[in-house]
Amino acid sequence: MATINPRAIYTIAKKEFLDNIRNKWIILLTIIFIILIVVFSYVAGGQTGEDTFGNMQNTVFGLLGISSLLIPLIAIILGFSTISGEAESGALYVVLSYPIRRIEVLLGKLLGLGFVITASIFLGFGLGGIVIASTVGTQSFGGYIAFILLSIFLGFIYLSLAICISSYCKRRITSIGGGILVFFWGMIYGTVLMGIYFGMGHSMEDLMSGNIPDWFFNSVVFSPGDLYQTAVQRAFGVTTIDAAGFKFSIPEFLSTPVLLLSQIIWFTIPLILAYYFFKRRDI
Amino acid sequence: MTSKTVMCPQCKHQITIEGNPGETVILTCPNCNLKGKFTFPGEKSTGSFSIQVNGLTKIFKDLKAVDNVSFNVRRGEIYGFLGPNGAGKTTTIKAMLGLIHTNSGEVKINGFSINGESINARKNVGFLPERVAFYENLTPLQTLHFFCELRGVDKSVARPLLKEVGLEEAIDRKVGTFSKGMIQLLGVAQALIGNPSVYVLDEPTSGLDARWAKIIRDKIKMLNERGATVLFSSHNLNEVENLADRVAIINKGKLIAEDTVTNLSKYLHMKPRLEITIKGLNGKIPDVISNFQGVEAVEVKGNILCITCESPIRAKVISSLEKAGLIIDNIKTIEPSLEDTFIKLIEGGGA
Repeated sequence: MATINPRAIYTIAKKEFLDNIRNKWIILLTIIFIILIVVFSYVAGGQTGEDTFGNMQNTVFGLLGISSLLIPLIAIILGFSTISGEAESGALYVVLSYPIRRIEVLLGKLLGLGFVITASIFLGFGLGGIVIASTVGTQSFGGYIAFILLSIFLGFIYLSLAICISSYCKRRITSIGGGILVFFWGMIYGTVLMGIYFGMGHSMEDLMSGNIPDWFFNSVVFSPGDLYQTAVQRAFGVTTIDAAGFKFSIPEFLSTPVLLLSQIIWFTIPLILAYYFFKRRDI
Repeated sequence: MTSKTVMCPQCKHQITIEGNPGETVILTCPNCNLKGKFTFPGEKSTGSFSIQVNGLTKIFKDLKAVDNVSFNVRRGEIYGFLGPNGAGKTTTIKAMLGLIHTNSGEVKINGFSINGESINARKNVGFLPERVAFYENLTPLQTLHFFCELRGVDKSVARPLLKEVGLEEAIDRKVGTFSKGMIQLLGVAQALIGNPSVYVLDEPTSGLDARWAKIIRDKIKMLNERGATVLFSSHNLNEVENLADRVAIINKGKLIAEDTVTNLSKYLHMKPRLEITIKGLNGKIPDVISNFQGVEAVEVKGNILCITCESPIRAKVISSLEKAGLIIDNIKTIEPSLEDTFIKLIEGGGA
């Protein structure tokens, strides 16, 4: 088997970073990140009765829902047309006529686009974190760092999914469709689970009282967004959720290693598939 | 080509294989089915060909886009690849560079197989695709720096290359703001990175105005003068005729002819055409020419009478016209053009 040239991967990654860091959508979403974290922090402070910024944990938990939507959105915007779009425009013809392997192109794209997400998250959540730390102190700072790292990893998972779609789809327009499908799967997954839950004869009272079967929790492994949220809660040492009238414990099964392993699988399998499709693709 | 007998390490069966020095052959033992590979000793000999295409076939679903195409491009020659739209030119070029997977056949560039030794094969190839595109948010300088890094060439060559293609004034502009002509020139600049010995240019002047097209044609001549091998595809017959040392004509996926323009004409028994300008002809074929023995074709365009016939007949034709009282202003002999050859071949004259 031919060896992989790290220099070629670096070259592709650098180009992807330079080309996409100026993407106006990414700049806009990063600004939204910064605004959100400050707003959520303030809201979290209000919930605890303080007329100031909330602590890190409250801020992060307030942000989780929106970040588990925004980060996949950024990743899908960056990755959905990286292969299909460039193949359609003709940019990929030139790159692949150079002495470079397809695996190197794929990994370079993943890393370059991943760095764009990382920069966006670091800038948004990092700046926000500094603001909160400077006003309310560094309590739960370890959890906050874990939140940032898990957010970056969520970005890589969705990037891997988006690149897989882009490698499979012949045309840019079809990969947009695929990207939307993946994004909405993350959005509606919770609703689907609730539907199954109520369909099995459970009532709202069951849900409110925490009478929730294990499969309901364990099925978070099928949703990278839910995995991310659960992993962040674990990172802050939270085992019982008590919010919006719901109170339940995160089952033992969903330990940090299980959550991380599930996320690694979500990242790896689409990437392997992406390479499989890309290698066989006619450009 | 040399042959070598090797022994299967598993069953000790003797296997005879053929190959060239430096070539790696993948073999399967007919006795025990053990798979292995053998590299013939010695340096890779590329002979006198820069590009060798052998039995290339590509089928898209039920369409045979390229059908058993074989040709060789000699070192240092300009090779025109000609065919109507949809003939299979771009598919062949893509297959040559490993951009598409073929159903059968082999391509070697500088002696390296595009399938088995793709990195080595592509090291010395400059490619300009028909639909060239670059990254919109990068400047041309950043774009060339990127391709320099991919080829392992010092980035300092980027600025002189941009100057060479006339893009030095746009050096800090984003590529997204470029016109089609400028993008094509940037494409030419990227193909020149590292002074490759082989250039593959797919419709390099397609869609460009006359000024840009001339710049690119001059560049092709310049590359050839530097000793490079250039394969370029085109459906512009004049362009191919003026630039190419040899021409391959492809139609419906099949290579129907390959030679110099002159030889192709001879092969098709195409005769020079006599163009006689006659005062007051006004689109009418003179009676004296109708049914003239030995005249194969007669055509009139205004005052110009076009006659196709063997050389000995020409003098007789002119003499008869004068005897008939027609006033001849001018006489020209037109050699068969690539266009004539191309049309005849496409219409099945060479098949």
